[in-house]
Amino acid sequence: MTEPLAVETRGLTRLFDGKPAVSSIDLRVPAGAFYGFLGPNGAGKSTTMKMLTGLLRPTCGEARVLGADLSRDGLSVKARIGVVPDGLALFERLSGSEMLRIQGQLYGLDRLVSARRAAELLDAMELASEGGKLVQDYSHGMKKKLALACALIHGPELLFLDEPFEGIDAVAVTGIRRMLQDLVTRRSLTIFLTSHVLEVVERLVTHVGIIHRGQLVAQGTLDEVRASGSLEETFIRMVGEERAPGPGLSWLGTRGEAR
Amino acid sequence: MKEALRALVELRARLLWRRFTTRGGIAEGVASVVLLAIAVPVGVGFAVAVGFGTYQSVRAGGGLRSDVGAAAIFFGLWQTWTAVSLTVNDREGLDLHRFLLYPIAPGRVYGMGLATGIVGDPMGFVWGAMLLGVFVGAAMARPGAWLGLLAVTLAAFAVATVVLVALIQEVLGLVLSTRRLREWATVLSVVLSLGFLALVLKSTDRPYRALGDILPSLRVLQWIAWPAAFPAAAARDLFAGRSGASLPWIGGLLLSTAATAWISFRIALRQARGAGTSGGNASGGGPVRSGRGLPGGRMGALVEKEVRYLWRQPLARVDALLGPAIAAVVAWKLEPSIPLEAGEAMRALPLFGVALYTHLLLQAFWLNAFGWERGGARVMFLAPLDLAAVLRAKGLVLYLFSLLLFLVSASVLAVVGKGSAPPWAFAAALLLHAGTAPWLLTAGNLVSILRPRASSFAIQRSSALSTFSGLMGMAIISGVMGFFALPAVLAIRNESTAQLLAGWGLLGAAGGWTWWKAVPKEARLLAERRDDFLPTICGDDA
Repeated sequence: MTEPLAVETRGLTRLFDGKPAVSSIDLRVPAGAFYGFLGPNGAGKSTTMKMLTGLLRPTCGEARVLGADLSRDGLSVKARIGVVPDGLALFERLSGSEMLRIQGQLYGLDRLVSARRAAELLDAMELASEGGKLVQDYSHGMKKKLALACALIHGPELLFLDEPFEGIDAVAVTGIRRMLQDLVTRRSLTIFLTSHVLEVVERLVTHVGIIHRGQLVAQGTLDEVRASGSLEETFIRMVGEERAPGPGLSWLGTRGEAR
Repeated sequence: MKEALRALVELRARLLWRRFTTRGGIAEGVASVVLLAIAVPVGVGFAVAVGFGTYQSVRAGGGLRSDVGAAAIFFGLWQTWTAVSLTVNDREGLDLHRFLLYPIAPGRVYGMGLATGIVGDPMGFVWGAMLLGVFVGAAMARPGAWLGLLAVTLAAFAVATVVLVALIQEVLGLVLSTRRLREWATVLSVVLSLGFLALVLKSTDRPYRALGDILPSLRVLQWIAWPAAFPAAAARDLFAGRSGASLPWIGGLLLSTAATAWISFRIALRQARGAGTSGGNASGGGPVRSGRGLPGGRMGALVEKEVRYLWRQPLARVDALLGPAIAAVVAWKLEPSIPLEAGEAMRALPLFGVALYTHLLLQAFWLNAFGWERGGARVMFLAPLDLAAVLRAKGLVLYLFSLLLFLVSASVLAVVGKGSAPPWAFAAALLLHAGTAPWLLTAGNLVSILRPRASSFAIQRSSALSTFSGLMGMAIISGVMGFFALPAVLAIRNESTAQLLAGWGLLGAAGGWTWWKAVPKEARLLAERRDDFLPTICGDDA
């Protein structure tokens, strides 16, 4: 019996100016998995996630999310997923609490239900005292937490997170990590996450996909992909060797020629 | 430091060049050429007219004819320059906040921002040509050394005008960032609007005449326009051959310019250093408010978001003040010059002008409807939303804001203009305003989708529209005006106000139908163009 898939793509491709950013990838994300989508900068992680969430149209290929064809049933799929995209999706001139409540309404929640959930999420994210502040006045970490709250407010079945740990402090990372683990283990959510922080990913995920230069170079459970080594070693082996900084920076640490 | 300034100049040049060489750059380039092609003959035409006026004034050499000429030149030029700069101009400056990081004196960055703003502005050609016209006219009338002083006066006048516009923008941005003031200003606007409109429509003995009668006696008000008042006084003496007597006025002009520039810079610097902090809670701390009393559902959420965005938009606040202010100037200066025997239609023209001007004032919002969304634009594509609902919510909120602004401006016009417009004109102006709105919104949606631009929330430091969008705005407004002129021509020929009302009503209804039908198609276009649209609006490719 085949396992149910939360995300399945076939030949998913995106070209920019004729050059492939993502080249014919076949993703398989099992339902209930915590899927880490890894790759170096510019590998195509965010482009893939944008195509899976409706922010970007694929040049060709198919994408099924929660069993539905994204190109045909876009609205019904969107109602069942939560997304924290690269660059965040926040109206900066709304207060945190307004942003959350309006977000809930946009996903079809009743206003009062949305307001109640917004208060609970602000509390859970330790943002309750900052709820009245405009989003533009939030720190980067606070914005990340608010974006995560926005992605959760309508109770999605599948969560897409693009670099959720980037730019936030260790304490916040620990808090968010616990929350995400809880969502997967106790609430049966599927999480699709991209991150550069391999250490954190290794402790969190059940499944891994590695993308390099737009092509999927590995995919499977965490143990299948890393085999006997660590995830970091496997990742480095697949996407390239470590490089030492080159010579020619002798002027660093001096005043130089600046006047 | 020289290198740093050179780098700043290069940065400006490269940004300008990139505007023409990146996505959609050809349209931008063509639009700039077209704008310049309009600005050059307009500038030359005005320059010749102003030059001729100056020639006559200098030849008169004193007396009423010369004095009136000097005042007309400087006050006229100043009013137009200021009004255009504050309202419809598309000008880019340097964001002081970004440059605080570098070892460059902020004053230099600010000064350069003002200077490059003028150079990059196609209207700058018009103002420059008119100032040259004054100089040439004066030189032809009476060559001599006094022209040196006139040149200094003209240069100082130009700097003073630019600096005062900058100060007004900075002050408005600063004052209107206070939540309490905004709330009071809105309450006052609504009360004034409804009260005055009721007064105009119902009053027979016109008690508001008393207020209008006070205004002409306030001659001292001219010194509010000091960039024009000082050079006009200096020019009176210079034209009359009293060069020595002009020196105090020129000195006053230079000193007040320097003082204004300094104050303007200090406010800008303060705002730049405080950038990123809005100075308080948006809705107070504590529990999440449910938004009770606001419409529910997705549409309600979209409308609420639009209302809150417009409410917190500095440009909208400035527009809310400028509309009634311009209406007051029109009523004060223009309406008295329309004789009673000119007929009701002529006396209704300023009111019709206000109806159209309100749309013009808000053109940045209907020509670049998504410009201030930034990352929030992604929500529209991530949430299970019909994009047509997004466009409808935007159109609805903007129209209601425009209507409020029109009602306030019309009331001001009625009060200051001593109610010279006939009562039917208010109904007609309301129809004109409401009838043109859906046409403008329909066309504006297309421009917003095809030529989006990520705009800053700052008043002065950004440009809300691309040159192409600005040009399209001119074309759209001209087209719609031409469209609505047809019933007006027929009504004037047949001397029938009923025909005018019926004609504009029909055109408005057709506009509403067109808007309703066009929005779903525009929403599909938006969905198709999201690959280019989102990076632009979210500022990813900025």
